[in-house]
Amino acid sequence: MIEIRGLRKVLNNRAVLDGVDLNIHEGMSLVIMGPSGTGKSVLLKHIVGLFDPDDGEILVEGMSVPRAGGKEIKEIRSKISYVFQNSALFDSLTAGQNIQLGLPEEHCRKVYALDDPLVHEAISHVNLGKEVLHLLPSELSGGMQKRVAIARAIVGRQKYILYDEPTTGLDPVNANVINRLIARLQGELGATSIIVTHDVESAFYLGDRIVLLANGRVQASGTPTELRESRDPIVQDFLHPKLETEVFDG
Amino acid sequence: MDSRETLDSHERVDAEPPGRATAILARIGRGGLTAARHMGRAGILAAATFVAVLKPREYRREAFAQAKRIGIDSLPLVLLVASLSGSILAQQSGYQFTDIPMWVVGNTVAAGMLTELGPLLSAIIMAGRVGSGIGAELGTMKVTNQIDALRTLGRDPVTELIAPRVVAGAIMMVPIVIFANIVGIWSGWLSAIALLPMTTQEYVFGVRDYYHAPALIFSLVKAFFFGITITFTACYVGFQAEGGAAGVGRTATKAVVAIIVAIMMLDVFLAPLYKAFQ
Repeated sequence: MIEIRGLRKVLNNRAVLDGVDLNIHEGMSLVIMGPSGTGKSVLLKHIVGLFDPDDGEILVEGMSVPRAGGKEIKEIRSKISYVFQNSALFDSLTAGQNIQLGLPEEHCRKVYALDDPLVHEAISHVNLGKEVLHLLPSELSGGMQKRVAIARAIVGRQKYILYDEPTTGLDPVNANVINRLIARLQGELGATSIIVTHDVESAFYLGDRIVLLANGRVQASGTPTELRESRDPIVQDFLHPKLETEVFDG
Repeated sequence: MDSRETLDSHERVDAEPPGRATAILARIGRGGLTAARHMGRAGILAAATFVAVLKPREYRREAFAQAKRIGIDSLPLVLLVASLSGSILAQQSGYQFTDIPMWVVGNTVAAGMLTELGPLLSAIIMAGRVGSGIGAELGTMKVTNQIDALRTLGRDPVTELIAPRVVAGAIMMVPIVIFANIVGIWSGWLSAIALLPMTTQEYVFGVRDYYHAPALIFSLVKAFFFGITITFTACYVGFQAEGGAAGVGRTATKAVVAIIVAIMMLDVFLAPLYKAFQ
């Protein structure tokens, strides 16, 4: 379980997170959504210890992330994998070597990435062929890069998988492929997924539970049905944005 | 004067627009704070790098790859510049020395190459070629979250990225400077016998007259520290990169400037050391 208590973070003199409380239970698929700049990605980065909070607490299975030292943070990170918004694949490594980085260092030293059965299993989970393993990230399409990044996140079978805007930058077809993949992996692997997105359609497709962040706080939280039925104007504004156009004469 | 009066007068001073002198002082203060912040961060990163360097098993494969990139791939350019500088030094000293024996040309070229030009020019070439490359590469990794990805994958970016580059830089800079010294003195000889009224014997006599072991050792000690300075500074600047492609471009430029300033400063401090050991 991941517990977040009173999380506060100020960036560029603005409270991006201003007292966020959240409980993420094992096996659930939690979607964090909200407009751009509301601190969704910042929240994810706090969970994995990439940001230090100004105030508040984050507990991963009872271990405090902000207070964790070198060994503890390594242990916490061994339970969590992270899919970055831009995939963050290493340019100089092949897809196979990138995926193998999701496994412990000792394992990587012993087994050649292209022959690693765990890497083969991960690549087949994301519906890519083995021929992709020897390609560099620059030789892959955006959708394929994203799938390789997901393969890297699942190869080590971590308990928690954090997805930061997994469909951003993809065309609708590839975005659907990635959404279906995340949903299928959630069922097959049973990991706890935390998905950050501003895409309402993806959020309702993927989430067992949805959290709406606004003004640095949890504005609303509930099941997809509960959120749809919410009368909170901020929630409704986000779910049904009005397209306002102005026509200027002359 | 009561406390209210003091407060009022303070507020009135604060309310006045800052004068030119105040603005200059504020700018100097901000510059000082930025410099102090960078020195603190660089110090912390240097300590982490020192600890990481002590675990060669974890980065040796990458260190070999970097050694090829930093050392072997840079050698042709460094040797070209060394040969040109040796030739220039020989010609200029030959043209200046009219009332003293010509063997002094050999002496001057050997002294110039061993104590300054060999290590310093090699370091400046390396700053442009290797420093900008490392700065841009790590800067790109920073702005595309690859460094964060390493952390989330349980890897230490200092061990994976900085330690192999610093070790490769420190080790490869020494042979690079040895070759630069040899080629510089050789090209100085070539220019001397071709363009100046002197013989090979005179040039060799001049070189031998200058040569002493501490000069060579000093040259190689400089090379070692320059190698560390070039690679570490480039890594530090790369790790500070912000903003997309424009940020990476600025990082590459900053890396070269920071390395050249750092090398020159180090050179100033190393010069008295040479005097002490002579």
